Amino acid sequence: MSNAYISNVQPQRVTERVAFINEDWLAVILGLGIFVLALAALVHVDLIGWVVTTSVWSQFSQALGATSKGYAALGGAGALVATYAALLIVLSAGAVALKTDVTRFALAFTALFWIAYASWIVGNYANFAAVTPAEQQKFGISWSLKLTNEGGYIFALVAGLFIANFLPGFAEAIKEAVRPELYIKVAIVILGGFFAVTAAGKLGLASTLILRGVAAIIEAYLIYWAVVYFIARKWFGFSREWAAPLASGISICGVSAAIATGGAIRARPVVPVLVSSLVVIFAVVEVLILPFVAQAFLSHEPLVAGAWMGLAVKTDGAAVAAGGITESLILAKNAAEGVRYEPGWILGTAATIKVFIDIFIGIWAFVLGYIWTNHINVTPDSNKAKAREIWQRFPKFIIGFVVTFIVGLYLALGTPADIAKQVPAAIGEANTFRVIFFILTFFSIGVLSNFRTLWQEGFGKLAAVYIVSLFGFVVWVGLAISWIFFSGITPPLAG
Amino acid sequence: MPQSPGRADLREELRNAPVEPLLPIEKKLIGWSLSTGLVLLALLAALNHFFPATL
Repeated sequence: MSNAYISNVQPQRVTERVAFINEDWLAVILGLGIFVLALAALVHVDLIGWVVTTSVWSQFSQALGATSKGYAALGGAGALVATYAALLIVLSAGAVALKTDVTRFALAFTALFWIAYASWIVGNYANFAAVTPAEQQKFGISWSLKLTNEGGYIFALVAGLFIANFLPGFAEAIKEAVRPELYIKVAIVILGGFFAVTAAGKLGLASTLILRGVAAIIEAYLIYWAVVYFIARKWFGFSREWAAPLASGISICGVSAAIATGGAIRARPVVPVLVSSLVVIFAVVEVLILPFVAQAFLSHEPLVAGAWMGLAVKTDGAAVAAGGITESLILAKNAAEGVRYEPGWILGTAATIKVFIDIFIGIWAFVLGYIWTNHINVTPDSNKAKAREIWQRFPKFIIGFVVTFIVGLYLALGTPADIAKQVPAAIGEANTFRVIFFILTFFSIGVLSNFRTLWQEGFGKLAAVYIVSLFGFVVWVGLAISWIFFSGITPPLAG
Repeated sequence: MPQSPGRADLREELRNAPVEPLLPIEKKLIGWSLSTGLVLLALLAALNHFFPATL
């Protein structure tokens, strides 16, 4: 279990060393910082064009390069080292703000970055990633797994899983930097701007997607939660203290919802921690299965697939990243059939659904807290749920997502044509960082998923509720709702 | 706030926890939540049907 999770739910650690900032706000600062630096390109100052990008390759020399041609002289290796150094410095500063041991963080991050990025490079090898016959011909190969370049996320995840399950000592040694929630929140803040640029050309479609996000909220909070809570209480005999965080973890958005609910109903800190570990493990299982199921059965309903990932895959990191893999797989399958959809819409749909669900975590936690402290475990007035907890539990990174979305939309639609035409390229540089934070997220989720430890600890009953609820109900109802609201809507065609 | 028990204690706790019957307030929470959710979903589905997505 990562310190990141534990520190979120064990107040005694916080009082020992009071941090300047929490992970949520740090993610907003980092995400906005990258976004602003990228926008400097609009005034012809390329500040982050050196960030490394990876192409599908058959010879290693083809693999790496700087994002911007202006930094081509760096070469692939130079861009990779520059990216590592920049992230190390910025995230170490973040570690100082979070009051973690910065030396341990820096060492752990070094290991994490290089293993995760190496996995990504391997995943971009042509025999794994090339999709179309033309690509196979270009790379001189006769076969490919056709995982697309974003299949590299799966490689990062598997590398993390290997470390968690076969090298637990090493996993423990790098735990200071294993912070999937931080990495995905930074990525989501950047994604707001990327989605704005994607949406700018099709505002009608974008607003349609956003309105349909409301259906996701109703489903996650009112339908999923009630059913899972009932199953946990009635069929599996869990106490209220266990059933409420478990229901939130399975039905809403995993780790943050379990932790918010645990705090709201005044559960012991260890309860949401254990539920969170379960959430992460099952999110891994979902990420390894659902995008490929979506590619097989939903390739002609791309936005149904995107919405399904947002509704069915738990934890922000896994859901948004599953949206990314699904997009890649479905676009590739359609491209092979001669249909080229504009990228960004499937991922954008998954992220929008997830962000919509996240917005209401604080309100739902307050509702539960009010019921628990006033009717179930009646507590003294000083410990009763208070309205200010809604803001305290509000996931602040959503503010960053909204800001980058609005600014991106304004720049794309409200500025003179000569500026507007440069916006996609500028935000594209920030988006390269988004991909890197996705890679770090996938690897980190893998490192947290020690299947054996969970099994040995005998929490099979918790896992049983999860399996019954997730695969017997959540996944299928999520698919049905996605179909009702998103079928027949397709992304714009590229070009 | 009560102290967190060790993981071995938790295993025992999960195995031997006495059954807590559903309280009326829990039944009300489940019932209201589910019925409100289904009604709103039906409403949204109807809106979606009569005002389909514009591309």
